[in-house]
Amino acid sequence: MLKIFAATAKELLLLRRDRTGLLVLFLMPAILVVLITLVQENVMELTGQKKTQVLFLDLDQGDLGRSLQKQLSTTTLDLVLWDEKQKDIADIQAAVTGGGYQVGVVIPKGASARFTEETARLFQQGTGSGKPREMAATTVQLFVDPGIMAGLRSGVIAQLEMALTTIALEAKLAQLGGVLAQTMARAGMEPEQSPLAGDKLPALFRQPLLDLQEHQGDSGAIGASQYKPVQQNVPAWALFGMFFTAIPIAGSILQERNSGIWIRLTALPVSPLVLFTGKALAYMGVCLCQFLLIALIGAFLFPFLGLPAFTVSMHPTAILLTVVLSSLAACGYGIFLGLTCNSYEQASTLGSTTVVAAAALGGVMVPVYAMPQVMQQLSIISPLNWGLTAFQDLLLRGYSLSAILDDLGRLLLFFAVTVFVSWKLAGIRK
Amino acid sequence: MRPGDPCLPEPGPDCVVSARSLIKQYKNSDRPALNDFSLEVREGEFFGLLGPNGAGKTTAISILTGLFPADSGSIRIKGMSFQDHEHEIKRILGLVPQDIGLYDTLTARENLSFFGKLCGLSGQKLAERIQQGLEFARLTEHARHQVATFSTGMKRRLNLAVGLLNKPQLLVLDEPCVGIDAQSRHLIHNQLQEINRQGTTILYTTHYIEEAQELCSRIGIIDNGRLEEQGSPTALLQQSGIRNLEELFLHLTGKELRDT
Repeated sequence: MLKIFAATAKELLLLRRDRTGLLVLFLMPAILVVLITLVQENVMELTGQKKTQVLFLDLDQGDLGRSLQKQLSTTTLDLVLWDEKQKDIADIQAAVTGGGYQVGVVIPKGASARFTEETARLFQQGTGSGKPREMAATTVQLFVDPGIMAGLRSGVIAQLEMALTTIALEAKLAQLGGVLAQTMARAGMEPEQSPLAGDKLPALFRQPLLDLQEHQGDSGAIGASQYKPVQQNVPAWALFGMFFTAIPIAGSILQERNSGIWIRLTALPVSPLVLFTGKALAYMGVCLCQFLLIALIGAFLFPFLGLPAFTVSMHPTAILLTVVLSSLAACGYGIFLGLTCNSYEQASTLGSTTVVAAAALGGVMVPVYAMPQVMQQLSIISPLNWGLTAFQDLLLRGYSLSAILDDLGRLLLFFAVTVFVSWKLAGIRK
Repeated sequence: MRPGDPCLPEPGPDCVVSARSLIKQYKNSDRPALNDFSLEVREGEFFGLLGPNGAGKTTAISILTGLFPADSGSIRIKGMSFQDHEHEIKRILGLVPQDIGLYDTLTARENLSFFGKLCGLSGQKLAERIQQGLEFARLTEHARHQVATFSTGMKRRLNLAVGLLNKPQLLVLDEPCVGIDAQSRHLIHNQLQEINRQGTTILYTTHYIEEAQELCSRIGIIDNGRLEEQGSPTALLQQSGIRNLEELFLHLTGKELRDT
């Protein structure tokens, strides 16, 4: 045990003396997490997870426009009202196709009158057995940025269509109520007896008869939040940084191998496993500090940048365990690289390429569910995916430790396998 | 009797190193690095393994210290084999590699401390050995300086001091004086002779003939992976009838340049 601690202390001393290398290890993930999270805040707007700004130009200035504004006020659309005296359709089209806004809605002049007229004509067609006459629909013009994501486009259009359908339905019911009242009056009945009495109609219409209830999976978690880039990015880029420590670990082994140090160590009464463990412990400390730094940035710096704060209130022990096992996996990979490669150049090229590939595959850069099916299936081979899935289960889905044991087991197994293979390689290298 | 001879007698009780018929063939080479190499080093001897570049000195040292195994043959260190007693052998063995085996960004003291701990030393004993090592290397004043700031001579002295931390019964040195000035070489020679006088058996490789002649009680001349001759410098000269050791060396190993 003393030999392990001696190796750890030596490694920490070497790290302390290499301040530039240490700074890079901490700065790289810190810069990435801030940049990527800021960038993804905008992506959230584009994917409809935040309110989408919709230009609204009411050239009509009638009831239809006011009703539509009222309906849309309860949606995720954020209306930007343009003055009809200063702007026209060409302006709104230019603003949307130019990318300044993603969606523009125009209520054409005379739309309210046409809508009222058509609604009134709806029940004036008589009750004969003939085919109903085609009605002339009142058009509301919509402009959508061609570069908008398909999901957001569908979402916005669905909300607008829902609002228009509601307005049309309310108007139809009001008209029907009027027709019914007239018919009842002709039959000698009191208008108040009508089930579609005018004043009660909107309130009755809004009574929910069917309800859609959303559940948070089967975790039974309390406080599980919706997808937030901060909760995704903080662990994701911390993991990325942690796995990048594989390169300095490999570098330190190669420095030993390519000097007389490795020969000296091999001639001493100490197992390579002891040396590997000492090294892993030291770099595990580095990884823990990396995670702490990134978490602190997420918790305290992000609010100053207009981002939501990162929170780890749920299952701190499970999160710590995930960080520890992810660090071990990263260290194991570094040791493996150090024994596999023959030069630092090889190790840094192979290490950075594989870590970036594993990060991309693991969902650090693009969520796994957004990948093609084949890539989603491949993602399960990435250790970064195991770590990230565990973090997401804890931080986003609100699962407990028992739910992430499989991912933690994979990380531990990865460490064990890489160290075992490295140990065997050390024997072969002799 | 030539070494490697099947009639070579069983190693005596005072035999510290006994290597028999070692063969080592590297994968990327068309000739064996060691070819039926046999050697005996007795207790208290200062044995010099002399050979030109590429003769097999470092391979022999590496196999004799258990860094890697031979393809065939047997090795006994104080009667123990690496297969059965690797840990015990490493406890009584001190190795000074040809390449500097020190961490550049650690100080002299930190290097001694780290390798001392790996030798199983701790507490007061470790502190004493570190101090002795610094004094031995004449680096007490530079104890807190990083090795990267040292001259080659200082690094070589510290490299040697680290090899002595566990007070080895067998000290194996692979060309420990390469690239250093006369003063450092002189100091190292004196100290090695002193260590040898105190009872440590030394196996020393070099391609400097005068160095071998000055230091060693017995010499083995290795070439093409075989031990061509061995004996005391005086005995070797008498047997061959050649005037000096350099001529004997060239006589045995040839005058062709060795660029391997």
